[in-house]
Amino acid sequence: MKKLLFVLLFLQPLVAAPEDSLVRINSTIQTYSASQPWEKNPPRSRRGLGALLPGNRILTTAAMAADSIYIELQSADSTKTVPAKVMAIDYEANLALLTPDAELGFLAELKPTAIASPAKPNDEIELLQIETNGDPLSTIGKIRSMELLSTFVSGRYFLGYVVKASMQTSGNSFTLPAFQSQKLIGILTSYDSKDQICDVISVDIISAFLKDAENGNYEGFPSLGIATTTTEDPHFRGWLKLPENKGGLYVTRVLPKGSAAKSGMKKGDVILSISGFAIDRRGYFEHPGYGKLFWPHLVRGGPVMGSKIPIEVLRNGEETTIEATLQRSPSPLVPGYLYDEAPAFLIKGGLVFQELSRPYLEAFGKDWATRAPLNLLDVLSSPEDYEKGRRRVVVLTRVVATEATIGYDRLASQIIKSVNGKPIKGLSELAKSLETIPKDGIHTIETDKEPYQIFLDQSLSDRVDQDFVTRGLPILQRLYKTE
Amino acid sequence: MTQTITRMFLPLVLCSTLLGQLTDPPASLNSPLIPKPTLYDSVVKIEVATQVPDYRTPWNSGRFNGGTGTGFIIGPNQILTNAHVVSDNRRLLVTRRGSSRKHVAQVRHIAHDCDLALIELQDFKPFEGLPYLDIGGMPTLESRVSAIGYPVGGERLSVTQGVVSRIDFSNYSHSRADSHLVIQIDAAINPGNSGGPVVQDGKVVGVAFQGNTQADNVGYIIPTPVVKRFLKDISDGNYDHYMDLGISPFPLFNPAMRQAYELPADGKGVLVANVVPGGPADGILERGDVLLSIDGNAIDSAGNIRIAGEFVDMNEIVERKFAGDKIALTLIRNGKTLSKELILKVFPYSRIYSIQYEKVPRYSFFAGLVFQPLDLNLFASFKFNDRRLRQIFADYVSRGLFKKMEDVVVLTRVESDRLTTRMGGFTGMVVSKVNGKEIKNLRQLHKILNAPNPPKYHAIEFNGGNRPLVVPSSEVPAAQKRIMAQVGITKAAQLD
Repeated sequence: MKKLLFVLLFLQPLVAAPEDSLVRINSTIQTYSASQPWEKNPPRSRRGLGALLPGNRILTTAAMAADSIYIELQSADSTKTVPAKVMAIDYEANLALLTPDAELGFLAELKPTAIASPAKPNDEIELLQIETNGDPLSTIGKIRSMELLSTFVSGRYFLGYVVKASMQTSGNSFTLPAFQSQKLIGILTSYDSKDQICDVISVDIISAFLKDAENGNYEGFPSLGIATTTTEDPHFRGWLKLPENKGGLYVTRVLPKGSAAKSGMKKGDVILSISGFAIDRRGYFEHPGYGKLFWPHLVRGGPVMGSKIPIEVLRNGEETTIEATLQRSPSPLVPGYLYDEAPAFLIKGGLVFQELSRPYLEAFGKDWATRAPLNLLDVLSSPEDYEKGRRRVVVLTRVVATEATIGYDRLASQIIKSVNGKPIKGLSELAKSLETIPKDGIHTIETDKEPYQIFLDQSLSDRVDQDFVTRGLPILQRLYKTE
Repeated sequence: MTQTITRMFLPLVLCSTLLGQLTDPPASLNSPLIPKPTLYDSVVKIEVATQVPDYRTPWNSGRFNGGTGTGFIIGPNQILTNAHVVSDNRRLLVTRRGSSRKHVAQVRHIAHDCDLALIELQDFKPFEGLPYLDIGGMPTLESRVSAIGYPVGGERLSVTQGVVSRIDFSNYSHSRADSHLVIQIDAAINPGNSGGPVVQDGKVVGVAFQGNTQADNVGYIIPTPVVKRFLKDISDGNYDHYMDLGISPFPLFNPAMRQAYELPADGKGVLVANVVPGGPADGILERGDVLLSIDGNAIDSAGNIRIAGEFVDMNEIVERKFAGDKIALTLIRNGKTLSKELILKVFPYSRIYSIQYEKVPRYSFFAGLVFQPLDLNLFASFKFNDRRLRQIFADYVSRGLFKKMEDVVVLTRVESDRLTTRMGGFTGMVVSKVNGKEIKNLRQLHKILNAPNPPKYHAIEFNGGNRPLVVPSSEVPAAQKRIMAQVGITKAAQLD
């Protein structure tokens, strides 16, 4: 008893109590309108918690910071506030690092937490909430399994913990720091009160994120750039000449210019192992400490950017090994997300052009996958058919009724192929083409659908554009530099 | 589309009062006991027994059902009614007014695109001497008409009076794909009236055919130009369907567009935005042509013409024509004015967009996999969400996909079995290749899959699919037998 007390007293100055590192985060989030990209949607606010790390850095989820226009840090009792800015953010891993905008304020009174060593299945962790009066509320949860979780951007999987815990629903969103032995072990991203299960981003991913962010130039996690499917079907395995004692993951698509493409991986290859770990029929491998994990962890969970990993594949029934140099996945034809990036657009004479993105399609509502225009959905599902000669897919998304667009009012969702005979690679190229004065003063815009050709009077549309400016349209275009 | 709001009246119930004005004219005082037959006697009741195939289980017999409708005699052994009254029938019985004797009849001509049919009796003798109803002209707005028929709910003839409230182009819900001239009357044409005549001054001015689920006391009738067109079309013994130019017009309102096509700002001419490959205009019209006139009628920039003072779509000219008829067009191409002649022809591929009747569903059953050709019947039975399938369906005619694939073969079902247990995930997708060969129609797919000396594995590839579906050929014979027995399929394929 005496000894224990001694230890506690001794430890106190070394490791701060976890609650002393807790910061309330209030962020105001405002996205752009998908149909009128020159303006923003009404703002929303989001509340969560972050943990103070050494160096006046506050770790939280990307969900708290993405598309934010204002972030405010608040003391636990909500009495003191400090404005903050984003130092580093990874939308895919759902992590963000904040820092106070100017002065430290109440942060000076807090004690930063340290980062814990990796957890193991069945470990207990402490989930911290703050009650309205500022008191910490601690819940002990148990790691039921280690899994690859997609917590923010859909389809991007990172190592996380599935934790069983019985928590109190509070005013905060479920962005909560988790601790083990007084050190930060993860960040909780969601809580299912019915099953009492929560998803927690693992310390492994947090450590890699922090390490990358150290030099102030955040790069992100590497990616192979492939799409795959399982090989459980015995007939399919027979056809592939896959031996019974092997697993195997069938490669259905190789992103051009990605790590896998550069290594020579091809559609139809069957991945047998990555970095020496055998991949089973459903894409899992046996992690020595964590149990069965989904294969992307072998790419994102350990190796750093630029490292080389050996991949064993079965090609035409024969085994070969290729070596992939890991890098970020190349910019896709149709971006999967556009956080903190105002959507590019261009208005010419009332024709509204935008670059196709998944968020644009998602704006068609809950059933967007069936309700969005078919020709645009097809680009999303089969980008390889549209990649040639394009950086992005430019779409005539809508027509604002003007003098220059008489008769065009019902045109929408037309994919632009060329303008005045010049193929359109992206929106910047479209802008350039529309800046040149065409023959006879009429722009010829070629599209993928009826009427296949749209004509626009150059001087009239310039006049209409001026009219837009006087009628309160803030800008007529928002373009990004091309590589 | 308003298709969903219209409904047909076959099996529903009558709830109207007869209007005194139109009851039987009293027999003259000194006439014999048997009164002279009137127009009402030529309106007959049609009882129909139907067998509707189930596209979800194409090997089954389908649903047996039935109902009643109305028809009327327009000539010697010629009874006119609605197509939807007699579609998919397996037995037709006709009853005269004031008689309970049932006479066996059969369909002679049926036109699903305008919901009309001509039926004939096996023996017309009992109906001889009845007057033939005259097909009249168009009634004027606000004029009174009477709908005569045998709605369910009573045995005797029913007459309802109403006023012509609108004359317009509208959908014919029977095929789900067609729209023609329609007369709206403010009388509740009651269920069971379908196929009955609507008369004015003793002449037929229309055939009652559908109602509106969103409005009470509204009925729709097929006007006589449509009836006359049907009768003329079948006069050669064949129904050829409505004709279509096979082009997509685009309005030429935009000044810059007009300038690009070197047109003056005179509001004339419509753009040809697309020409259906293989259609009647293929090889005659080109994308980018500007149509100026059709059969001598000037076309405005919205594609409208003026016939007899009426402002109508230029397709009205085509609506009145038949297969083999010529259409004279003037157009501007690359700044030059040209005269062209186009011959209308039957274009069966566009029927993929219509509900079809009197058809035995085609399918091929292969080791638990069910393949069926895509059409609106199939679309109506399955919920297809696959993007490629929907895109192919949309482009089938306009982009001439039928040239490459006469049938769009879809894997519609995978029956449960130990062989197919891992084959899910491919249903609702369009087959692109089997064993490396591009699939053009169902028969070819069936032939390739059932060829003697098959490869060790059949590889079935799908449009937009991420991997082939693989079937080990050595296991097929046993599986085919086993699954057919389990599911209750007696015939492995219906290819015609």
